[in-house]
Amino acid sequence: MSALIATRALTKRYGSHVTALDDLTLDVEPGIIGLVGANGAGKSTLLKILLGLLGPTSGSATVMGMDVVSDGAQIRQLVGYLPEHDCLPPDVSATDFVSHMGRLSGLPAAAARERTAEVLRHVGLYEERYRPIGGYSTGMKQRVKLAQAIVHDPKLLLLDEPTNGLDPAGRDEMLDLVHRTGTEFGIATVVASHLLGEIERVCSFLLAIDAGKLLRAAPISSFIEHTGTLGVELEDGADLLAARLVAAGLDARADGRSVLVDCPDERPYDVVRDAIDDLGLSLTRLEQRRHRLEDLFRTEGRTDGAA
Amino acid sequence: MAPRDPAVAPRESATGAIYDLGYRGYTGERLGRRAAVLALFSASLRAAFGLGRSGKAKLVPWGITLIAIVPAAVAAAVSAIVPGGASPFNYDNYLWDMQIVFALFLAAQAPELVSSDQRHHVLSLYFSHALLRSDYALAKLSALAAALFVLAVAPMLVLFFGSVLVSADLMAALGDQVGNLAQVLGAPIIYAIPLSALGLAIAAWTPRRAYATGAIIAVFIVTAAVGAILAEATTGNVSRWAPLISPFVALDGTRDWLLGASVADSGVAASRLPLPVFGLEAAAIALIAGAAVVWRYRRMAA
Repeated sequence: MSALIATRALTKRYGSHVTALDDLTLDVEPGIIGLVGANGAGKSTLLKILLGLLGPTSGSATVMGMDVVSDGAQIRQLVGYLPEHDCLPPDVSATDFVSHMGRLSGLPAAAARERTAEVLRHVGLYEERYRPIGGYSTGMKQRVKLAQAIVHDPKLLLLDEPTNGLDPAGRDEMLDLVHRTGTEFGIATVVASHLLGEIERVCSFLLAIDAGKLLRAAPISSFIEHTGTLGVELEDGADLLAARLVAAGLDARADGRSVLVDCPDERPYDVVRDAIDDLGLSLTRLEQRRHRLEDLFRTEGRTDGAA
Repeated sequence: MAPRDPAVAPRESATGAIYDLGYRGYTGERLGRRAAVLALFSASLRAAFGLGRSGKAKLVPWGITLIAIVPAAVAAAVSAIVPGGASPFNYDNYLWDMQIVFALFLAAQAPELVSSDQRHHVLSLYFSHALLRSDYALAKLSALAAALFVLAVAPMLVLFFGSVLVSADLMAALGDQVGNLAQVLGAPIIYAIPLSALGLAIAAWTPRRAYATGAIIAVFIVTAAVGAILAEATTGNVSRWAPLISPFVALDGTRDWLLGASVADSGVAASRLPLPVFGLEAAAIALIAGAAVVWRYRRMAA
């Protein structure tokens, strides 16, 4: 069994100046995969190449063992795609549209109707599904876009910025939906997003790309574990404590009224406790400050944001 | 509106409990590309007549179809009331006299079939399915051709059944008329294919519906006018070939060539050109415009 997605030295250039993907080599196993990167990092380009909608300039890519250039049509039958931008006709109802898309994916008419009712219920569209899509809110439209992507029960879902344009509540609901779709239904899912917080919440595996290059590919948990930081908030004397901890061989630095201590293992906790006691400082809060995924880009990536 | 929690099952209702079975995969039959193209064809044909759309979307296609039928119905009614009265319409001239109706239908409905997909980026969804770009183009071309065929054949059938029903001896009249079936069904085909290709080739060029509508009207009306004026104002070869500028003249000539007498005012007879020339032009319009549509969608970025 080959990898769900595999690319080898995948490169895509637009014209002679713009390089969207640069020598990208990766292997992805099934799960909910976060594809994260700034706007223009090459996320959409990668998804379109995987769908066979765009041809690579050089290199190769396979999806479920099928080559994206020669077997594009077969891949597309097994893949559901949620594009980043608006893609819904305003004058058709959600029911008609999703069922139409089901038929285009090869479902017989009766099965398309049945599946449409099921997926619209899954995404949380009820009575309004009989009204023309033009009158829907952005949140409802995103749900229709997700519904049309899963109506044919794909083996792989490619979601390009599924929370685009949603308010915080809508974003939460959408992420919950994506998470449920990926876990309960067991559909391998790639979620492209420029919002790291979203990826962190729903994905089990992270692919970080920047300027078309692979920055990192690893399970989400490994990011969190290795970047765990202890935040020690004090009433005062942060500098004092930081100096003491550094002297004790820890990686610590004062940050305002807090001291941030790197905790690769359990040992620093005892050292911190003893140091605070020795110095007679008053402790306000002790928390495990998990590094946000942003740190990935801050430390290893470019800081200027991609074009 | 929050998504309802599927965990709240069973939901009690007056008639019993509804069990939410959760998500089930699809294990049934998966039809291939051919079925996808057929589905797109039938959906597009329905869209051409506003079926499954709002009442407003039906107004124009049905209104135009009505305009196409009414003269035939009136002619049939008149010949029923005034036996032996000469009708101004027959199988030869009806479609020629309807050319403005064809132009209006194309101007209104060709953009309906393709502009919206482009404008609302539905194309990127279509192309992310099994169907190829050329499949999309061919499905839309055939759907519009089928819609035009319906528009053209409806009044022809009214003429046909009108002349059968007014006669005293139905069976004898039917026997008389059966020979005309080739005209009744064939002439609409000759009109539908090149006209739909030409209309779609224009509409596919812009996502702006209004531009497409204007351009289609302009092409059909300007070519007809220019052809007629040149034929009138010039002499010799220019005058003979000028009517060919209008696609409708090519269609009438083709119909004349394959099915029967030409229409007096179409300029086909007056040009004294060999009839296959018109057939050649009609075929060229269908092929070149059709290829332009396919080319357009092959090139379009998704």
